[in-house]
Amino acid sequence: MQINWQVVYQTTKGSVFQCTLTNRFIVEFSHTQTSFSVLDFRQFRRMVNAIDMRQMALRTDDAHDVAILSPPHTDRCFVLTLCEVVHLRDLLNGAGFMLDLNRMLSDCGCSFPEEVIA
Amino acid sequence: MKDIVRLRTSIKEDIEQILNQQILMEFESSSKYLAMASWCDRNGFEFSAGFFYKQSDEERQHGLKIFHYLCDQGVVAVTPAIGAVQIEFDTLRSVFEAALEQEISVTNAINRIIATCRRENDYITEEFLRWYVKEQMEEEFIARRCLDLFNLIPADDTLRLDKELARVTFTGETVD
Repeated sequence: MQINWQVVYQTTKGSVFQCTLTNRFIVEFSHTQTSFSVLDFRQFRRMVNAIDMRQMALRTDDAHDVAILSPPHTDRCFVLTLCEVVHLRDLLNGAGFMLDLNRMLSDCGCSFPEEVIA
Repeated sequence: MKDIVRLRTSIKEDIEQILNQQILMEFESSSKYLAMASWCDRNGFEFSAGFFYKQSDEERQHGLKIFHYLCDQGVVAVTPAIGAVQIEFDTLRSVFEAALEQEISVTNAINRIIATCRRENDYITEEFLRWYVKEQMEEEFIARRCLDLFNLIPADDTLRLDKELARVTFTGETVD
C-alpha cells in the first residue's frame, strides 16, 4: 500500500483503495492490483453485479464455469470462478457502501477519522 | 476521507441508473410512435400519421436531452437498445388509446425519478426534470383530447376525424 492510498474497504480476499493524488481507485484482488477512474470503477462494479451467478451454478457445460470480464480502460481481464465472483462482489459492493457513507458524512459536514479507515 | 466520487460528478449512482432507464423509455416511446405513424400511413390516415411522426421525433429529443444531461454531469449515458414494438392495431381509436397509455407510463416514470431525487437530495436533477413535468402535462392533455374527438365526431366521418386529430394542440401554459 502506497502512502497516498486510503483504504476504502477490505475483506479477507481483497482491498479497495483510493489514491488521493491521482483520484483513482485501486482494486487489489487475487494478488493483482487494477487501477480505475471513478467512472470505470462504477462500471466495473456494474459488470460484476450483472454476472448471472445462477447460470454459473446450474449450467453443466464448461463455458459457464468461469465469468470473463474485461474492465474498461485496463489491459487485463478477470477470469472468475463462482466463488471469486461472490468475493469480488462482496468487496466492490462493500466499497460502494463505504463511498456512499463517506458522501453522506461529507454532506453533513463530517468525515471519517483516518484511523477508522486505515 | 477525500470524496473523489463527488469531485468527478454530483450525480449519484442510482440517479444515473434511473435516468438511463428513462432514456430507454423515451426512445422506446419514440419507436412506438413511429410504429403508430406507420400503421396510420398504410391505412390512409395521413394526418394522424403526421401527428405520430412528430410525436416520435419529440420523444427522441426528450431522450437526447437526458442523454446530454448525463454526459454534461460527467457520468455514463448508455445508448439504449430498443426491442420490438407493437406494429398492428385494431382501429385508429386503439392507436390513440395506446398513445395515452404510453404518456401515462412516462409521467409515472418522471414522478418516480423526482421522488428519488428528493430522497437523495439531488435538487439539480430535480430542477432539470421540471421541464419534463410540464411537457408531460401537455402530452397527456393532447392524448386525452384526441380520444375525446372520437366521441364528438361520427365514426363514419373518418377524413374529418383524421384531420381534427392532427390539429389538437395544448392551449394552456406554454412549455419552454
